[in-house]
Amino acid sequence: MMLSKRLQPMIFQARRAYVELMFQVMGRALQAISEVDDITRNETRTLPVGFLFEMQVMPNGPKLIVEHTGDGCLYFHGDSAPRPVDLSIQFKHIAHAFLVLSFQEKTSVAFANDRMLVDGDVSLAVRMTRVLNRLETFILPKLVAQRAVKEYPADLHLPNKLMNAARIYLKVATNLVETARA
Amino acid sequence: MTHKYYEFFCPVKVIAGKAALEHIPFELTGLAAKRPMIITDKGVRAAGLLDPVIAACEESGLEIVSIYDDVPPDSSTTVVRDIAKVYRKEKCDSIIAVGGGSAIDTGKAVNILVSEGGDDIAKYSGAGILKHPLKPFFVVPTTAGTGSEVTSIAVITDEKKGVKLPFSSSFLLPNAAIIDPRMTLTLPPHITAATGMDALTHATEAFTCMAKNPLSDAYATAAVKKISQSLLKVLDNPKDEDGRLELAQASTMAGIAFSNSMVGLVHSLGHATGAICHLPHGLCMSLYLPYVLEFNLEDIRGPLGELLLYLEGPEVYSATPASRRAEASISAIRKLRDALYKRCQLPRTLKETGKVLESQLESIAEMALDDGSIMFNPKEVSLEDAMAVLRRAWA
Repeated sequence: MMLSKRLQPMIFQARRAYVELMFQVMGRALQAISEVDDITRNETRTLPVGFLFEMQVMPNGPKLIVEHTGDGCLYFHGDSAPRPVDLSIQFKHIAHAFLVLSFQEKTSVAFANDRMLVDGDVSLAVRMTRVLNRLETFILPKLVAQRAVKEYPADLHLPNKLMNAARIYLKVATNLVETARA
Repeated sequence: MTHKYYEFFCPVKVIAGKAALEHIPFELTGLAAKRPMIITDKGVRAAGLLDPVIAACEESGLEIVSIYDDVPPDSSTTVVRDIAKVYRKEKCDSIIAVGGGSAIDTGKAVNILVSEGGDDIAKYSGAGILKHPLKPFFVVPTTAGTGSEVTSIAVITDEKKGVKLPFSSSFLLPNAAIIDPRMTLTLPPHITAATGMDALTHATEAFTCMAKNPLSDAYATAAVKKISQSLLKVLDNPKDEDGRLELAQASTMAGIAFSNSMVGLVHSLGHATGAICHLPHGLCMSLYLPYVLEFNLEDIRGPLGELLLYLEGPEVYSATPASRRAEASISAIRKLRDALYKRCQLPRTLKETGKVLESQLESIAEMALDDGSIMFNPKEVSLEDAMAVLRRAWA
């Protein structure tokens, strides 16, 4: 009992660090997938140019911000927006963000369970959720991805998945190194 | 450890049944309101539906200070601003919305302006913007379908920008919903049918979509039972007050169910069809319900099979093997649609409406994919899936 009480702050800290790390990876991966995947670009192309999308943990927790810079390309801004965001998906608590980002709860289930709020145009939130789902099916092993998305696409075959996943991870890694150097 | 989680909220006092309207003065007084304003539309007034409301108040010495009866079918920011001006000028202190979805949504939006201040309703658009309770607000529905009297959302058109503004807050919920059978007694047959199917769709989707929960399930099943038992009876005997009350209660119950569990693809397609082809919402629901259930079938076999008990009764339910109940539920809904077509020509296919072109199907599918309710559909929907459902609903 005493031990678990002492461990609790460390668990909370680890959970927060995990969510922060996942947002960093997801933000860069969103930028990368918009550069390598046509289907994703078809989704993002219809977003207004300069559109700022945010995922955040309430009230002032970790966040990721991406911008549509035109022609479907997304740019990862880290955790600070250059101006007020257009669409924000907000987790009500870090515990809920952890459930989703550790693939214990699908994004769609998290919406259904009222774990998240949408502030902005709901139709654009639906579109961004499809982009996030597409990203997860590429970068996660099929068994994990099946836990993250409502339905794993039947037409996504291994060679295509591996090729795109490799390109996304390479871009994420390069971006991380560049950020670290800067 | 369980992974289940849900939320359920409905603080609306439901005042239902014989002489329910006569409770309005007492309920308003209980909220210290003395100068109510009625918000309604010309159709409601012309049908004489305001008379019993006004009489009920005046008999108790409560004066209706102002009546605004010009709410259009698609309410706008200008209308909301104009009504708020009248409300302030007349020093009203409460609102009674009498009508269908548009009058109720307008009442909700006016209540925001007169409670929060200002003339620009657009700045309150979005989720969770309101932080305080609003003025006393009562709703008297005159159709039995939308369930707007128990939902925390309103949609108002911004004419200048050409967009629909959504408002979402639990403070938009009325203090009371007054369900009086007199208010739906004169509803024409095709509107009775379409709004009944709207309520049936709310309940069916509430019971089969992703955010279903034990409390919304209870409301949904009770609503399905009431609609199955009363809709055809009322169409055969429109003056059946008991039947009308059953349908009105079912609509409210279905509203409570779906506002706590959300809806799915029927609504996504219906919203898109309404926007593109200008078909009434209830009709759209009726058009798509069986085809969407067929599309979702393997993901909702369990709950859909359970609905057979409420759609067809215990004899049919017990005589149907468990493995066939889901299909039997869809058949029951198709049978109901056929009966409605026979009685009042409520279209069963997009072609039968005469208002949808086959060339519009792709635009409907594309728009449906971006509709918020698609998020809660139990099965993922691609553009091809949506097109397949639309083609089946075509003819």
